[in-house]
Amino acid sequence: MNLLSRSSLKRLLAALLLAGVVTLMTGAPGGYGVPAYTGLHGSFLERVSYFGLFRTQRWFLFLTLGIIAWLVSTYYQRHSLTIRRRLEPVMAIPTQVMQRRTNRWVLIGLVVIVTIFIPKLVHQQFWMYLIVEQIGVWILLALGLNVVVGFAGLLDLGFAAFYAIGAYATAWFTGVLPTPAPFNHPIPTLWCIPIGVGLAMVFGIILGIPTLRLRGDYLAIVTLGFALIIDDFVGTQSGLTGGGEGSLTVPKFAVHVGPVHYTWGISPTPYYYLCFLFVVIFLIAFTALEYSRVGRAWVAIREDEVAAESIGINPLKYKVMAFAVGAASGGFGGVLTAGLIGNINPTLFQYQVSVNVLILVIFGGMGSIWGVAIGAIIVQFVTSYLDNYQPWGYQLNDLYMYIGALLIIMMIFRPAGILPSRRRQREIQSFEVDHEGHLDEVLTGDEP
Amino acid sequence: MSEDLLIDVQQVTLRFGGVVSLRDVSLAMRRGEILAVIGPNGAGKTSLFNSITGVYQPQEGSITFASSKAPPLSVIGKKTHRIAQAGVSRTFQASRLFSALTVFENVKIGAEDHRGIGVAGALVKGPRTRRGEHTSDKVAASMLRFVGLLDESNTVASQLSYGARRRLEIARALATDPEVILLDEPAAGTNPSEKLELTTLIRRVRDERDVSVLLIEHDMKLVMALAERIYVLNFGSMIAEGTPEEIRANPAVIDAYLGSSTEETSA
Repeated sequence: MNLLSRSSLKRLLAALLLAGVVTLMTGAPGGYGVPAYTGLHGSFLERVSYFGLFRTQRWFLFLTLGIIAWLVSTYYQRHSLTIRRRLEPVMAIPTQVMQRRTNRWVLIGLVVIVTIFIPKLVHQQFWMYLIVEQIGVWILLALGLNVVVGFAGLLDLGFAAFYAIGAYATAWFTGVLPTPAPFNHPIPTLWCIPIGVGLAMVFGIILGIPTLRLRGDYLAIVTLGFALIIDDFVGTQSGLTGGGEGSLTVPKFAVHVGPVHYTWGISPTPYYYLCFLFVVIFLIAFTALEYSRVGRAWVAIREDEVAAESIGINPLKYKVMAFAVGAASGGFGGVLTAGLIGNINPTLFQYQVSVNVLILVIFGGMGSIWGVAIGAIIVQFVTSYLDNYQPWGYQLNDLYMYIGALLIIMMIFRPAGILPSRRRQREIQSFEVDHEGHLDEVLTGDEP
Repeated sequence: MSEDLLIDVQQVTLRFGGVVSLRDVSLAMRRGEILAVIGPNGAGKTSLFNSITGVYQPQEGSITFASSKAPPLSVIGKKTHRIAQAGVSRTFQASRLFSALTVFENVKIGAEDHRGIGVAGALVKGPRTRRGEHTSDKVAASMLRFVGLLDESNTVASQLSYGARRRLEIARALATDPEVILLDEPAAGTNPSEKLELTTLIRRVRDERDVSVLLIEHDMKLVMALAERIYVLNFGSMIAEGTPEEIRANPAVIDAYLGSSTEETSA
């Protein structure tokens, strides 16, 4: 047995440390005068105890799990080659199935049918609202940011600013802010879509042109600053934006074209279908963009700016384009939110929002349109569920602790996201070939 | 000079702070020739390439690119992508392919027209966009056939052998429809048989594609076999110019090479 070998013992140490960290994380909240190790005591709540499993002390539970994980990983290390070889055909099945065009359309058809019938399946209004506000809109935001971060490889930490611009533009043009609407003539909410999108895009271009000239991560800092300014502006300029209260009376969406008259009212279902329509449009548009010459130019710049320039690609132009497309999507999300919720206030557009959208993109898989959409659904659903039900003694302020842990684990084991973009995955693979070795080899020891 | 000049480098000086990388360097390249620039490591060969392609901005002198389709372009101060669009293409010392894209996509990017915006075209897919896609597909395919990589079209670029990568880089550079192609050590790291293939390929670039070739190379056998004229750089200065025979006999060149490394003259 090589359980006592150096690398195996290293792994045992890592497993024990992790067990300790997880015990602390799931433990009671700390506070002033509460020593940190308090979190080590206690068990999970009895109401969720299965066969007494959760009634045991948590430290014992996680210690056991840690040791099991250690044994499994040691076994895996010894037989990794055989296991991988045996698993390969099984793992290849999904890809093989999806390679058939008909299978792909069948799957897409199934997904569409299920999404169409969701309002019939979900009976609680509360959950329908949640699906629209917390999932639908956020898919759109994540898809937009994915163009900037995933396609063009630019780090945008101020996405919330464009979201705010879209929402406040809507409130302004519909005449529900303390400032009168332009030309004193309020317009319907639906007409605010091109205005909000256009305005956000203009801000994106103005911000992008001077910043994207510079190489490196200046964009991250500038967008961060911009988001803080916008956040502060809408929060404090009460005379213009309604300050902390914002506006409570953004009119609902309504269509009046010829004989068609329809107003989106109180029920969430019509909003659901509206959101669904926009998500489909976004998916189709961004897929087209990814496989166009623009999409290829973005990959070229992301991979090697010097080489891209040498074949006649203007990096500044394409970066500004990506940034503008992202900003426009943010603006679009803002208009949609304003018309959907009907009331907007600065808390909706805080810095945290930019980080949240970025998390969705990273989790789903940077540059992978379907990955980002699915990642957004998973993360937003889980966080909404945790927020509203607080299971297993979960506390509200614990959210970012778990999300942080999730991101760390993702970066180690699945750095390209849950459903990686093929191009991104190849980039990471070729980087690993060039730099020999992958993080999990570094972490789990030096044995082949 | 009355010949049909393609690239005219006049007394170029390039400094980085106090370090002089190129000192008063002049070079005249005629249309349709294969020209080589040789010199020991650190002589400034790549700096010269980077100056011609707009990556570096020399402080003194002038560089003119005389396109047959457009008025002469004064290169210094122009952006790299503008110079590339005008017809100066290049490869890199360490190959810089887009490793996540397929062989075909790598070349197709080069063939595409990167002027204009393109977002609207991508979304609507009008006849112009489709025609553009069709043209670049055709160009990419013919370039891959030219370098003999058509069968590898769907391979991911990072999985190619070293020699194939170099050929792919040449195909990508050719896809931009250049008048001159700058090859920065195309044979570096290749084995003897790949070297032979490259020699033929580079000559075919000029003969069949009608693209002039400016070449940096350490491998003397390759240079002597290919180049019609040779420039020799040493410590940032041009020390000699002439036909391969003249260069071989030039005492200054022999001195420069013997002073740095004896291996390189052995071939």
